[in-house]
Amino acid sequence: MAAFTYAPAIVLLPFVSFLVALFAGDRMPKGGALAGITATGGSLLLSIWVALTVAGGAVHNEILYQWTTSVETLQLNFGLLLDPLSALMLLIVCLISFLVHIFSLGYMNDEGETGLPRYYGGLGLFTASMLGFVVANNLLMAFMFFELVGLCSYLLIGFWFRQDGPPSAAKKAFLVTRFGDYFFLIGVVGIFATFGTGLFAPITQGGEVVAESFPMLAEHAIVDGEVEGIAMLETVGMGPQAWFTVLGLLVLGGVVGKSAQFPLHTWLPDAMEGPTPVSALIHAATMVAAGVYLVARMYGFYALSPTALAVIALIGGFTALFAATMGLVKQEIKQVLAYSTISQYGYMMLALGSGGYVAAVFHLTTHAVFKALLFLGAGSVIIAMHHNENMWDMGGLKDRMPVTYWTFLAGSLALAGIVPFAGFWSKDEVLYEALIHGFGTEGGLGTVYLAAYAMGLLAVFFTGFYTFRMVYLTFHGDARSDTARDPEPVRWNVKGPLTVLGILATTIGFINMAPVAKLTGAHIDFLHTWLSGPEEGGWPELLSTDLHHYEELLHEVPHVDPAYPLGGEITTLLASAAVSLGLALAGVLVARSLYAGADPVEHTDKLGGLKTLLMHNYYQDEYQVWLATGVTYPLARVMNKFDQGVVDGVVNGISSVSLFGGSRIRRIQSGVVSNYATLLTLGLVLLLAAFGIMGGWF
Amino acid sequence: MVALPDWMALAPALSLALASLVLLLADSVDPDTTNTGLLAGISVLGSLLSFGFAGWFITAGTGMADSTGVALFNNQLVVDQMALFFMAIVGSVTTLVVLASYDYVAEHSYQAEFFVLVLLSATGMSLLSAANSLATAFVALELVSLPSYALVAFLKENKGSVEAGLKYFLIGAVSSAVLAYGISLVYAATGVLRFDGVATAISSGTVQTIVDGSVQAQAGDPAVPMAILGVGILMIIGGVAFKTASVPFHFWAPEAYEGAPAPISAFLSSASKAAGFVLAFRAFAVAFPIGDLLAAGGAINWVMAFQILAIATMFIGNFAAATQETVKRMLAYSSVGHAGYVLIGLAAVSGSGEGLSLSMSAGMSHLLVYGFMNTGAFLFIALAEYWGVGRRFEDYNGLGREAPVACAAMTVFLFSLAGLPIGGGFFSKFYLFQATLNVSAWSLAAALIINSALSLFYYSRVVKAMWIEEPTGSRTIESYPMGLYTAVVGAALVTVLLLPGFNRVSEIAFQAAQLL
Repeated sequence: MAAFTYAPAIVLLPFVSFLVALFAGDRMPKGGALAGITATGGSLLLSIWVALTVAGGAVHNEILYQWTTSVETLQLNFGLLLDPLSALMLLIVCLISFLVHIFSLGYMNDEGETGLPRYYGGLGLFTASMLGFVVANNLLMAFMFFELVGLCSYLLIGFWFRQDGPPSAAKKAFLVTRFGDYFFLIGVVGIFATFGTGLFAPITQGGEVVAESFPMLAEHAIVDGEVEGIAMLETVGMGPQAWFTVLGLLVLGGVVGKSAQFPLHTWLPDAMEGPTPVSALIHAATMVAAGVYLVARMYGFYALSPTALAVIALIGGFTALFAATMGLVKQEIKQVLAYSTISQYGYMMLALGSGGYVAAVFHLTTHAVFKALLFLGAGSVIIAMHHNENMWDMGGLKDRMPVTYWTFLAGSLALAGIVPFAGFWSKDEVLYEALIHGFGTEGGLGTVYLAAYAMGLLAVFFTGFYTFRMVYLTFHGDARSDTARDPEPVRWNVKGPLTVLGILATTIGFINMAPVAKLTGAHIDFLHTWLSGPEEGGWPELLSTDLHHYEELLHEVPHVDPAYPLGGEITTLLASAAVSLGLALAGVLVARSLYAGADPVEHTDKLGGLKTLLMHNYYQDEYQVWLATGVTYPLARVMNKFDQGVVDGVVNGISSVSLFGGSRIRRIQSGVVSNYATLLTLGLVLLLAAFGIMGGWF
Repeated sequence: MVALPDWMALAPALSLALASLVLLLADSVDPDTTNTGLLAGISVLGSLLSFGFAGWFITAGTGMADSTGVALFNNQLVVDQMALFFMAIVGSVTTLVVLASYDYVAEHSYQAEFFVLVLLSATGMSLLSAANSLATAFVALELVSLPSYALVAFLKENKGSVEAGLKYFLIGAVSSAVLAYGISLVYAATGVLRFDGVATAISSGTVQTIVDGSVQAQAGDPAVPMAILGVGILMIIGGVAFKTASVPFHFWAPEAYEGAPAPISAFLSSASKAAGFVLAFRAFAVAFPIGDLLAAGGAINWVMAFQILAIATMFIGNFAAATQETVKRMLAYSSVGHAGYVLIGLAAVSGSGEGLSLSMSAGMSHLLVYGFMNTGAFLFIALAEYWGVGRRFEDYNGLGREAPVACAAMTVFLFSLAGLPIGGGFFSKFYLFQATLNVSAWSLAAALIINSALSLFYYSRVVKAMWIEEPTGSRTIESYPMGLYTAVVGAALVTVLLLPGFNRVSEIAFQAAQLL
């Protein structure tokens, strides 16, 4: 397939733009922006081509470059895996990155920022890393690009390094995600040690499997009991399911860090210190999406472990609710969006954990669009407000910047989950899947799903509330400051991306209107079809990364099955949709009643002590800082004492013993030759005697 | 391949012998000549030729075709891979030493005699590499020893040198006596002196004799008295221990190395030690096969003896080196310690006699690398002596500023000796370590690690003095002797090149060990 031949260029183009911006950016017009736009535009076109080819039923899984081999069978490779999931993700990343590049013209160039080559270089590398991660066909390559993504986020969040906040936020993002990546790395090593391969999908040649993938090996071990080839199980002394759960949870550490799930979510709100287009990129398509994408990528592995699924679902549901409550009281527009991101990724985790693979990918897609839209809209507002981000200084921007308002409203409706905007469809599907699987699954797993569902459902109300609190405070009522009365106008390069994303946020939900499909019986759940592939043969058989395979696995191993508590499937579906829509609308209405007036007042004070708690984000930062200073630091000091006292003491002791011994040995060398002859003879006699007695010579 | 007569297999030894004869001729034509250039030139030529022949034969495959190699004089000498490997070591070290001696002896009389003695001793070492019977081995060993006694005492006006020579000679006499007695006991027990004959006697358990060059059982099939054989083997170990400066026969080494002219210290501590080891490797691998010995019962388990010796030698050598105040004596003790490392080659063998090829090739590789790095280090001392720099560590302070090239070379030697990955010493020590792990000889592995760590301490004292410390007194270096510099820099270059080239060396060594 010609498209697959050119697929590496999707990754390489942004990388080239990184090099161009870095080395020639200051000699180019717009500081390298045009190179970035060209490159991401080119990548977008290629991605579309790839997606069309994949839609034609072709998939691609090939090793491009083998960079290490050893006497054992272990090989380390770079390779491409292009299946419907990665093709879809490529589209999302390229599209968002392309629009962010254009938007940056307005946000960075027009605002007269300095250091633009560094900025565009960072964007290029960021995009390239994420694309490399998306197409990676094995875990180690994924890990490497995962780390590159982390590095780029560090560079971009800390872009304004001369101020106090950004470098500190960048460091925090780097350290917190690195904490999770530490577990991920152990997981990667563990998976390689266990299976001898990190491939996500088997590589086939002419129908024959030439290299098996680790999810498939794990499946054979658990489903068919083929554990002979896995020596690691004996080493760790665990059953296959227990050990694979450990491995899955280790990898999940990296996911939790990158996708900003509780308790490693604390870096994300601080990351708002970076330029707003970067925030859009981080939140919508790259960094944060990487975690969830990784779980989806190796879903065949997670589907084998009910424990891992339960943990994922629980983390997701809890994070969705937890982050939503924190978003209620924030005063800065980007802070609200940051918490909403955490919350929305919680939904995706909830979906993955509760067996809603399509729902997760669907929400990942819609969220990418409407969150990018909201951030770019917020960026537009920030330009207008001369970089004042406090919502209480805004108000009444509706009439002065209509394009921003209407697109932002579309994004907000999508985020709040109001029909028919994108978020409604995907979020509804997430909750629906959690609900039916919660009722249908036996034992503890089902209970976990129901608990997670309850938290997710409650979060819907809060989402509606904080979203529209933000909309009302920003755009409605009277202007509350001079800048809001006379905002700076924005140009086409801001309005263009907003318009594109606004249209998409309104319509992208139509790619998988599952409720409508169920009601009418029409086959309009395109994403579902896209991910499950043809019924017989085709790529699902080749790669086994298809939905159908995952559903079978979920049914067979953790026994995740649907059940419909309210009569039939249709009634349950409608009831679920109605409940979530109702809650979202309730949230919106409450926000309207509190903040819609011409001159809204702060109601947060009425929350009393709760407000303080929420404003301080449940003291998450405080307790993590306390963990560092109150636990780790004293522990480190004790270790240091131990090192200085005991280890160094032993070392010093050894050295003084050595020197003392040395001086004693030296003294044997008396300089008197007859002594030497005596000692020599004595030594020989001693040896003779010893060996004589041993050998029984006497 | 060029067809050469069989005796040409000895060309590495013959060229050394020939060069010494030419030197004697030159000396008799012009007694008391001070034409150092001519004398050193002949010596360098002879030793280079020897090295060249050895290298050529190895690459051309002499002794590779079949495991016996080229047998000469009724199997008294065998030129095989192992012999050539050590001939190459001897040739290279001798080249370096005579090259460096060009400057060193320039101011002394009896120069021709000096070079003749060096070359004769080297001839002995070369022959020893090929010795295939206890008798030729003993003769060759004496040919190595006798000139070296005289060489240690070469600085006749220097009390230290004379005293060292005498002590060396006395201990050497005792050791030779022990060795000769051991050989006689082995002969008494087995009836033969040839290594293959001894091996046959041990494996068959009957006394052998040699008729028309082939080993046969003696009439009446008398049994081999294992106790006598054991005593004999232990005494041969003693003789080997003397030559390799291993505990408890090491007492001569620090004094001889310190008192001798520095090039001779280099010669003794590298080439002479290698010669001792080749005897040990060949004798113990061929003549006293450990598997048969253990099977026979009642005889000595020489692997255990070498384990004890290796550990004791490593510890005593390195611990004593750590507390020395003079650089040369420190190097002398470190050389004792290195003998301990190489002894691992005979000690890292499993209870059933497995792993000998691997450990022996590790020992051989270490000796080759050691031949360059240790010789280089002693030659640097020669350079320092030439300049009149003092003997103590402090006297080397700030030397790096005045002689950066030589000091850089010395740094390479020292760190390579310690086993840092700057020269071949890293890999050879690692190879030894692997050999110990191969047979799960944990005590040897631990001793190797501990002593390497300790050695880093005292080696880096010199490096620190040369580069970091401020120079104390005023010191002026007037000339940069060409011969010494060439030798030092050449040795450093080879030491570094052995880092990438180690694979080739270990391959040859492994092949040689396997062919035995």
